[in-house]
Amino acid sequence: MNELLLQGLVNGIVVGLIYALIGVSLNVIFGVLRVVNFAHGEFIVLGAYAAYFAQAWLGLSPLLAMPLVFVIFGAMGYGLHFMLVQRLSRSNDPEHASLLVMFGLSLVLGALMLLAFEADARSLNFTLDPPFLMFGNIILPTTKLLGLVVAILVTGALAFFLYRTMPGKALRAIIMNRDAIQIVGVDLNRLSALTFGLGLGLAGITGILVSMIFPSFSPFIGQDYTLIGFIVIVLGGLGHPIGAVAGGILFGLAEQTAMVFFSGTVAMLLGFVLLIAVILLRPAGLFGVQNSR
Amino acid sequence: MTDEVKEVRDDEVVPAPASQGNIEKSNHIRSLIWGAVVAVIIAVFLPAPLFASNLSFLFYMMLWLTMAMSFNFVAGMAGYMPFGYVAFYGVGAYAMSVLYKTFGMPIPIALAGSAAAGILVGLLVAPTLRLKGVYFGIVSLALAMAMKLVISLMPRDITGGSLGLILSSANDPLAAYYAMFLVMMGALAAGTWLSMSRLGTALRAIRDDSEAAEVVGVNVVATRLKAWIMATMFPALVGGVEAWYTNAIDLDSSFNLLVTAKSIVYAMAGGLGFLVGPIVGASALYGIDQLIWRNFPTLNLLILGVVIIALMLLLPRGIVGAFAQRFSRFRRFIP
Amino acid sequence: MLKVDQLVKKFGGMTALGGVSLTLPDQSILGLLGMNGSGKTTMLNCINGLYEATSGEITLDGVSLIGKSPHAVFSEGVGRTFQVPRVFHQMSLLENLSVALLNKGLSNAEVAEISAHWLNKVELYRLRHNYAEELSGGQQKLLELARIMVANPKLVLLDEPFAGVNPGLALLLIRIIREMPKEVGCSVLLVSHDLTSVYELSDNILVMHEGKVLAEGSAEVIQSNPDVIEAYLGA
Repeated sequence: MNELLLQGLVNGIVVGLIYALIGVSLNVIFGVLRVVNFAHGEFIVLGAYAAYFAQAWLGLSPLLAMPLVFVIFGAMGYGLHFMLVQRLSRSNDPEHASLLVMFGLSLVLGALMLLAFEADARSLNFTLDPPFLMFGNIILPTTKLLGLVVAILVTGALAFFLYRTMPGKALRAIIMNRDAIQIVGVDLNRLSALTFGLGLGLAGITGILVSMIFPSFSPFIGQDYTLIGFIVIVLGGLGHPIGAVAGGILFGLAEQTAMVFFSGTVAMLLGFVLLIAVILLRPAGLFGVQNSR
Repeated sequence: MTDEVKEVRDDEVVPAPASQGNIEKSNHIRSLIWGAVVAVIIAVFLPAPLFASNLSFLFYMMLWLTMAMSFNFVAGMAGYMPFGYVAFYGVGAYAMSVLYKTFGMPIPIALAGSAAAGILVGLLVAPTLRLKGVYFGIVSLALAMAMKLVISLMPRDITGGSLGLILSSANDPLAAYYAMFLVMMGALAAGTWLSMSRLGTALRAIRDDSEAAEVVGVNVVATRLKAWIMATMFPALVGGVEAWYTNAIDLDSSFNLLVTAKSIVYAMAGGLGFLVGPIVGASALYGIDQLIWRNFPTLNLLILGVVIIALMLLLPRGIVGAFAQRFSRFRRFIP
Repeated sequence: MLKVDQLVKKFGGMTALGGVSLTLPDQSILGLLGMNGSGKTTMLNCINGLYEATSGEITLDGVSLIGKSPHAVFSEGVGRTFQVPRVFHQMSLLENLSVALLNKGLSNAEVAEISAHWLNKVELYRLRHNYAEELSGGQQKLLELARIMVANPKLVLLDEPFAGVNPGLALLLIRIIREMPKEVGCSVLLVSHDLTSVYELSDNILVMHEGKVLAEGSAEVIQSNPDVIEAYLGA
């Protein structure tokens, strides 16, 4: 029993870091653009398909596909920002308008993937040698371990970018105060477009990790990832990039241990209960600072 | 400048009752237009089963009219975007089916159970009404998913598990048709009452600026709760009647996100916040949607998504809203 | 009479109000001066319940306003306007005023009469059927003022009533504000940058600086106070 629990906890950390990545990219987008990316999960699934086809057609291993996917998805985000997001800021009620547009985008992407890739679940044919590592009685597939390392590296790189580089600091400044940054003379539009690109690039990488760690993916599961992302950012605090890491790990742990004792459905339900409880009790998130208004 | 002052002075001499007459006149015209719309709806749907060969087309048209209208109660009048709107529809469908099939209750009582279940769920999630924009949208969607999971965890002999429930003994499409007609009339009546009453005024103030409304004495939470309860009862009833009409339910179709998506699209295309908006939107798009659905079933979601994006970018206030903006003189006559 | 006693409001680590006290007698006008960030608007938000005060007491005619939500504070007779006018954009002017009268138990005829009276006063009567979004910024401020005056308040909080208002409308606004205490019997808390109008209208003036009261007194006292000159008027 204890070993099962321990196994659950280890899985929880691996899965939690993936969830953290979903949350971080959602949060960067929300923090800077005030846009809730309802289509985030679909972009993640698209990333998983990208890994699949990079391997099937180009013979690229998922690790090598990562920089490529990051650049392609980043460019896609940059373009989408000018097509969709920017025009919304002129609307009467930008927040609701953006929610609706992203909701529409998620429907479009889901349907397009269904048309292009068909409904069957696919899985990535990717194993390492040796396939498992044993720590005592805990089994850890090496692909998961690799995923864990990559997730830590990406999160670390992102933290470095946000806290140590100039564009990253500018991003955080916008999250804290949009009005002030315009006075200082930062080109908000360009930075917003870059942010959306960064967010989607991260979604693409997350998708590759998902394809490595989870057994399969299909066009239908995008929404599940979006919801997981919502849970994570609400736990960690909306618009709070690093809070999402803690939120992701917390949720991953909760979900995986619940999976050990109950079922996948209960684990999912637990996530929703957590989400609703936090939103009602601590709307700023477990780690966020309570806002004045 | 002197002209303007003079004009104002002129007005000052006009006693207040004249203004009242004026308001009443525009109110009168607005009521007439609304009355005409309702009359047309009754004239189309009430005798239709006598002539129409395709009952299903009309049944689903009423269904979407009702869904869009009640979506408008929360989105257009109270300013919420419930992305999990389908939850109420699904709960209603399940309440009706379980009461009828598992507990052997007569259909009218089972349908009353649908409405009660919708209101109950609405009350349960009422604490989320104090959340603002983004948070509310997220939680609402999560609640819909949670509701589906909860039903899937219930014992198989009550809810039928993943196979759903078949209600073949209840088969009576014509009766279900008129039940839907009654539900639609109920939604029309509720909408009429909302727009004419002081509750409606409070709701529109909240939609325009909830904080300013609060500051001039509107109890925002209590007011929203009333609109919310109305907006949760109708989709639950609709879900119940639809289950009766098709005689079969399952988790995936009862909690299909398409239900939310279509309610949003129809209501928005017409224009949120106007009583006639959802009616115009549903009438304009329903036929097109049916054509697409019949000819390219796989493209349905894709096209819905594209329509939502295009509407938000090109016609954010909908058909009626755009008209009102363009011809602002006539705005006060639009119900 | 409004009494604010040792009011403190903190946001996280930042103190916006560090123990402010003031008294506003009936039918008088108190001007609140101070730079951006000195805590003027925070003060208004605490009084009308938009913010929850961290500590301190606020009473109106002996009734505590602490812990009441904004709509309850409004029912106690406190109306306020905003720096950027917040009208109900997609409602007519008459409907805008009717919102403030929803819970007063008045008949439609009474609502129409009171609304017409105040729309006349702010010289917007001829636009009564227009949507509020069609008004200019200054006119929206007048509408906002009318919207609280219809409810016959005891205390009116005005946040920068002259900001962005053209000179012609500003004169009208000054006239209306000056007459309000006598005509309606309310007292006015006037937050403004506009020194001349504050000096002209106020019976008493409070200067705030970094969340504290820097000086208090009549216009002459304030104008000659060296602290005020240094912190606010000087340089």
